Amino acid sequence: MTSLLHVSGLSISARLADGHLRLLDGVDLDVGRGQIVGVVGESGSGKTTLARSVVGLLERNVTVEAGTVELAGDVVVAPGVDRTDRIRGTAVGMVFQDASRSLNPLMKVRTHLGEVLRRHVHGIGKADVERRSVEVLEQMRISDPARVLDSYPHQLSGGLRQRVAIGLAVVTRPALVIADECTTALDVTTQTKVVALFRTLVDELGIGLLFVTHDLMLASDLCDRIAVMSRGQVVEQGGVEDVLDRPRQDYTRRLLAAIPSWT
Amino acid sequence: MTRVSQLELDLKPAEAPRRSKRTSAFWLAVPIAVVAVAVFVLPLTGLLPAAGQDLNATRQPPGFLSGGSWSHPLGTDKLGQDLLTQFIEAGRLTIMIGLVGAVVAIGPGTLLGLLAGYFRGWVDRVISVLIDAQLALPFILVALAIIANRGSSLPVLFLVLALTGWAVCARVTRSATLAIRERQFVLGLRAAGASELRIVFRHILPNLGGTIVALGTLQVGTAILIESALSFLGLGVVPPMNSWGSLLAAGQDELSTAWWIAFFPGFAVTVLVLLVNLLGDAMLTHYDPRKRRR
Repeated sequence: MTSLLHVSGLSISARLADGHLRLLDGVDLDVGRGQIVGVVGESGSGKTTLARSVVGLLERNVTVEAGTVELAGDVVVAPGVDRTDRIRGTAVGMVFQDASRSLNPLMKVRTHLGEVLRRHVHGIGKADVERRSVEVLEQMRISDPARVLDSYPHQLSGGLRQRVAIGLAVVTRPALVIADECTTALDVTTQTKVVALFRTLVDELGIGLLFVTHDLMLASDLCDRIAVMSRGQVVEQGGVEDVLDRPRQDYTRRLLAAIPSWT
Repeated sequence: MTRVSQLELDLKPAEAPRRSKRTSAFWLAVPIAVVAVAVFVLPLTGLLPAAGQDLNATRQPPGFLSGGSWSHPLGTDKLGQDLLTQFIEAGRLTIMIGLVGAVVAIGPGTLLGLLAGYFRGWVDRVISVLIDAQLALPFILVALAIIANRGSSLPVLFLVLALTGWAVCARVTRSATLAIRERQFVLGLRAAGASELRIVFRHILPNLGGTIVALGTLQVGTAILIESALSFLGLGVVPPMNSWGSLLAAGQDELSTAWWIAFFPGFAVTVLVLLVNLLGDAMLTHYDPRKRRR
């Protein structure tokens, strides 16, 4: 499998008033085309920092100290190097936690999609924008794209909104999609549907998906590989069965033991 | 290990949004439009009483009071000048001062607040120091200094209104922008590759709509009241021009003998400022799709 996203030895720290705080410490991670890689770990373990560092959405006081992020063989992030503006919205799409807050409340879905398309597809006409918008919503298994296009975010249900947010991330046909806790705000039924949608999209479009979540069960359902993070380090990674059935690290065992069970 | 890809993905269609009916903004705009038409169109029709002095009919009460006559529907002042004619003429100037005064304060204030709040860093520090400096100066001192230097005229009045109004607008806009820039959709826009300027002007500015409308309606009222205060001090509108503020000032000496001279301009200022504030409220509701009646 060709590696689409290749993170090697990435170390990132934040400058604070009283010194430096190491946020990522020598992180290695690979995502291949058509592959779903889950990043799991407790709050503050560096999952979101890792996801955001790939697209250069870090706070101003955060700097890359060592390591690289390569996308399809090109270095996009390295110490003193930030070429993420070339890949944001084109090669990489991003889905956030809560779609009720990740869409501009004053804009209809049509405007959201149109804006991204016009920004990244040069000279795209009105008819093409409309056609592609409908197409991508249909890809999101939205049965009534015309109505959804004419709706404001608050007029849609949570699951529908998150589908629109995913559509927005893939409308420009990126190679990699990063989903940052994008199912956390949804109820379990909707979560399952969104996860199923991701699997279908990855299979259909051959994209790579970096799926950040704190939900181990969800990750085990969806992902091909899992990376377990703790204190800014990837403590364990491998195939889902390897990591979950035969965890080698204490930390992973503790995470697994923390999953509530009904038996 | 089970895969969930085979689960059904169908959705229940939610209820379709219904079209909103005429909102209260529309019904509030009606009286304001009526006032504007009356004030701007009536003088052109030649229906108003002549503007000259009539020393035989000084301090006449309005037509609906005993001793009044319908040839002077709102009565006359101490020189026998018709008050309705003055009232309409003054209203034109007052409305203009209110609108222009709000625009000159809100325009630069909003722009600076937006830039300070979004870009932070040194941009914010420079603009915030300017805001603090401006707010530290008493308004009347600024007004006196400018008017003493430049004389009293409409452009100078607008300069005073801009200088005394921008800082509050900038500070309010700045804090609102600080809150909006932390919202997730801004991060989403950056992740989708939108440019900074596009985020600021296409996304954050419209989300400040409510704040700006509220500031705008407040500022219209403030501009009218500041103008009235300056006119009262003889620093605002100078004769032969009149505003409701200067009419109010002229009538206040005679409140005990001829109350109607001050009453109608004062009442009009109050009602106009109230209407503009209500209109702002209603526009806010109309403007935000989440608050619209559905």
